[in-house]
Amino acid sequence: MLFKNPLSSPRGPAVMDMLQSVSGIILALFMWAHMFMVSSILLGNDAMYWVTKMFEGEPIFGKGYPILVSLFALFILSLVVLHAFLAMRKFPATHRQYRTLHNHLGGIRHTDSYLWYVQVFTGFALFFLASVHLYQLIMHPADIGPYASSDRVWTGRMWPLYLMLLFVVELHGGIGLYRVLVKWGWFMGKDPKIGRKRLTIAKWVLTLFFLVLGSLTLAAYMKVGYEHQDSAGERYQPAEYSQLHSASQGEND
Amino acid sequence: MNACTEKTIPVKVSTARTIEFAIFRHNPFDEASEPHFETYQLEEADSMTLFIALNEIRAKQAPSLQFDFVCRAGICGSCAMLINGRPGLACRTLISQLPTKVTLMPLPGFELIGDLSVNTGKWMRGMSEHLQTWIHSAEVSNFDAMEEKMAPEQAEQIYELERCIECGCCIAGCGTAQMRPEFVGAVGLNQLARFKIDPRDNRTDAQFYEVIGNEHGVFGCMTMLGCEDFCPKELPLAQQIAYMRRAMAAAGIN
Amino acid sequence: MQTIVTDALIIGGGLAGLRTAIGVKRRGFTPLILSLVPPKRSHSAAAQGGMQASLGNSAKGWGDNEDVHFADTIRGSDWGADQVVARMFVHTAPKAVRELAAWGVPWNRVQKGDHKSVINGEEVTITERDESHGLITARNFGGTAKWRTNYVADGTGHSMLYTMSNQAIAEGIEVHERMEAIALLHDNGRCQGAIVRNLITGELMVYLAKVTCIATGGFGRIYRVSTNAVINQGIGTAIALETGIAKLGNMEAVQFHPTGIFPAGILVTEGCRGDGGLLLDAKEHRFMPDYEPEKRELASRDVVSRWMETHIRNGHGVQSRFGEHLWLDIRLLGKKHINSKLREVKEICQYFLGIDPTESLIPVRPAQHYSMGGIRTDYRGESPTLKGLFAAGEAACWDMHGFNRLGGNSVAETVVAGMIVGEFMADSLTTEATLAISSTAIDSQVNEVRDELASFQRSENNENAWQIIEAMQSVMTDKVGIFRHGEQLAEAVTELQSLYERAGRIKVSDTSRGVNPELCAAYRAKKMLKLSLCVASGALAREESRGAHCREDFPLRNDKDWLKRTLTSWSPEAASPAIDYEPLDVMSMELPPGWRGYGGKERIDHPDTPTRQAEVDGVQAGDADRFAKQQQLMPFTGCLPEPFRGRNARLSEELDA
Repeated sequence: MLFKNPLSSPRGPAVMDMLQSVSGIILALFMWAHMFMVSSILLGNDAMYWVTKMFEGEPIFGKGYPILVSLFALFILSLVVLHAFLAMRKFPATHRQYRTLHNHLGGIRHTDSYLWYVQVFTGFALFFLASVHLYQLIMHPADIGPYASSDRVWTGRMWPLYLMLLFVVELHGGIGLYRVLVKWGWFMGKDPKIGRKRLTIAKWVLTLFFLVLGSLTLAAYMKVGYEHQDSAGERYQPAEYSQLHSASQGEND
Repeated sequence: MNACTEKTIPVKVSTARTIEFAIFRHNPFDEASEPHFETYQLEEADSMTLFIALNEIRAKQAPSLQFDFVCRAGICGSCAMLINGRPGLACRTLISQLPTKVTLMPLPGFELIGDLSVNTGKWMRGMSEHLQTWIHSAEVSNFDAMEEKMAPEQAEQIYELERCIECGCCIAGCGTAQMRPEFVGAVGLNQLARFKIDPRDNRTDAQFYEVIGNEHGVFGCMTMLGCEDFCPKELPLAQQIAYMRRAMAAAGIN
Repeated sequence: MQTIVTDALIIGGGLAGLRTAIGVKRRGFTPLILSLVPPKRSHSAAAQGGMQASLGNSAKGWGDNEDVHFADTIRGSDWGADQVVARMFVHTAPKAVRELAAWGVPWNRVQKGDHKSVINGEEVTITERDESHGLITARNFGGTAKWRTNYVADGTGHSMLYTMSNQAIAEGIEVHERMEAIALLHDNGRCQGAIVRNLITGELMVYLAKVTCIATGGFGRIYRVSTNAVINQGIGTAIALETGIAKLGNMEAVQFHPTGIFPAGILVTEGCRGDGGLLLDAKEHRFMPDYEPEKRELASRDVVSRWMETHIRNGHGVQSRFGEHLWLDIRLLGKKHINSKLREVKEICQYFLGIDPTESLIPVRPAQHYSMGGIRTDYRGESPTLKGLFAAGEAACWDMHGFNRLGGNSVAETVVAGMIVGEFMADSLTTEATLAISSTAIDSQVNEVRDELASFQRSENNENAWQIIEAMQSVMTDKVGIFRHGEQLAEAVTELQSLYERAGRIKVSDTSRGVNPELCAAYRAKKMLKLSLCVASGALAREESRGAHCREDFPLRNDKDWLKRTLTSWSPEAASPAIDYEPLDVMSMELPPGWRGYGGKERIDHPDTPTRQAEVDGVQAGDADRFAKQQQLMPFTGCLPEPFRGRNARLSEELDA
């Protein structure tokens, strides 16, 4: 029969390939969901406050537990680490490979290959950007809220990082999700060539949408932070917290 | 003579352009030869293809110029090269569709024979032997009896994948194959898909997994899609790789 | 110098060579294939339309059998074929298709129920039997009484070649790619291998073999306008000729395909017309029924090509800046059919003409397409004069095509000949074949080759190889084409002779190591000129019209004087070919000469024809079954290798019985 490499489990490549895709899908979907959550600031400080409390488990436990945010962030960080570890196998590893790839991409003028290279660089950047962001959340889970977050963005001078992170993560995630669908042949329709064109359009529309949404959101936090800079550190008190609270409970009934 | 001229219908003659060809030159068997580009000027003619142009350049300007053409009709896959950086079949590339400056380079990822000529045959034979791209079935020695039946649409599906001409464009267009020479490429994965859907081939998924269930096989593909976009036969390569990936993933965890 | 020893040296990696090698290997011997290009790039891949074999599965092929296929083939050949060989062929062809089916060729299959089809310009409904569903189907081709051409869309040759090549890889057959045999080694009247030039390094090598087979295809590239691949220069045929011992048969029998796209000469398949496509003139008038009321567009290729040229001469051609042409119309077949069954045609039209054939007419004009002639062999595929030298496929004049080959019979021949010749080569290896060439003989023959190659670098030389080849191609296309005339042929011979002399003074300026394309052109030019001279001289000598050989000054087929095969040889010292003839025996023919069913009805009969016809009629009137009658008329099974003697099962015969 055929040659078998006794040093590695034959299952390994299949499992790793699937894990890379699965972790990527979860992260990309999380990223979009996360964007919707943080963009709640655009609906006003109260809306954002409510979202924060919900994530701290208040609707269930009656009181917010920021540790839940820590745990969730830890889970996301571990997914990022797993995803990065698996994706790293695909990066060019040697100088020769870099040079070959560079020459190759320089000549062929091919969008999907360029996009892959964009993913390599954005992925590399995410090692740092996403880690910083997540580490901050894990360590200070309670520092989320209309004022707390805005102060972090403005007074804490995190906005340049978030701005970079926004573009990097949206590009990486959008391209990645598109690639994973083509990679496994999902949602391609009857004619895969037409299916891919459709997916390409959908990908750019979504990326553009989230970039706009993200930029507006970041601007909103910056604005709140800027206006709040003199009382930085002060926590937000919702004007009609109790009503909101009871309304949400009422919905649960 | 006059009658002849009268009969001729006037045809719109486009002003002939002079094309400047920058052609990669290197003869690895000549110790004095260094890789470099040489430029040749050629006046464009009507319906001139790169096949015609290169032959003309060789006959009149560069008698030692090496390149490969066989069918010159886009069906044999011999003449793939980088045309202004992108892989394609030279024989069916019309000069009229190219700018006035044309750069020609040999197909990357294959052993260079000289100038524009590369050894795709050796690579493809190696791939065939490695992946065993033939029907695996019990030996029949007598063909007097009627053939086995096959569903008409199944035969058509198999042919759809069998249209590959092993030109090497998918290897030249693939970042993975360029970085990792051991990668079997779309050509290999598509050919195995062709045998996998063939009811005459009795290999199991587990057997296919042994050859392509690894980083040099289907899991090495990074879906950069150069294969799909540069395939001159417009084969559904991304779809076939996806098909093999799903099958191999399932085979891998079972 | 590197020397490689093998049992069987097969020169040529197309369908014929590959199948021959598989046959030899399966008998326990070691074959080795030399190929100019990777085998999957061979010209066999260009056969688009299909392969004839009388399976008779489809409604329009129902009732087909070996007898019908045989009669079509002989009529197509204009009685120039060897009838025993044609019988061996039609008997083995169904086995070949079925073998290829088992090895993986995705033959198109019969779909039960009603189908729309186009016949004679009209849409018709064909109903396929339920029992046939899933069996191999067939399309219509020219010169056939039944729909017999098995196909894989319009990539039949491609599929066959890939399957065959993969099978050869599976069987571990060694292929030395980019190798060109430029001389045959022989000693004491026995071929012992070849002197080979490595087309990567430029080095000379010696391949010693007990038996050698030439399967290098045709020599279409001696013509300027040809459908053939650029590698079809006939070098394999030429090196056999250059031994001075092996002879070439019927070199003047050159086929012109009606539908080469104009002006590039790239082939669009006969399947276009088989599936219902029409030929139109400048006024978009369908002219073939005017000339051939019965077979119309689907008479044999020689006949259709001649009517097309005649129609152009009569002033009905379409004018263009490149000259005149006619139209092929396949629009009536519909988009669905063209996009699935005629895809390569569509691609060719798109890329080379910039048109969509589902909407536009295709400009076509006949172009050189096939060499019926080649290395003369006996029914076993061996040269009668140079022992140990076999030939198979287009390179051979095994002679199942005579003076005109039917469409679909070429790829069929490659595989069938491969099967049969492979067995006979193995037989020869089992019994008599030995390696008995002296080293002195090898040395002197290698030195001759070296001297010839060196001669191109003499300082006093002044000729350009490519210019000479171009001049030769023009002479052949202009003067040894579809219509031939004594005067023009004589001019052609003179001009070719002078080109041949000039070819001796070709100058190769490039002296660097490696393949050296200029040197390749130089030695090939000389060899191609020899073949051209054989074709032109044979055409000049043959004062009749038969099949594809059409003499305007001798318009009738003349069985009385010319029912014979031309044999051409070239002794090493001579400056021109020598011609002699081998008669065909009417009295042993299963199908005595008559009218083909298309083309001209007038002819000069052979004196034996009435006698033989009466004998044949007597046997056919009897009540024995078709096998017994055939056996009585012209026994052939004994000529077949044992494994291929069995009767072919057929659905129509099983159901009708």
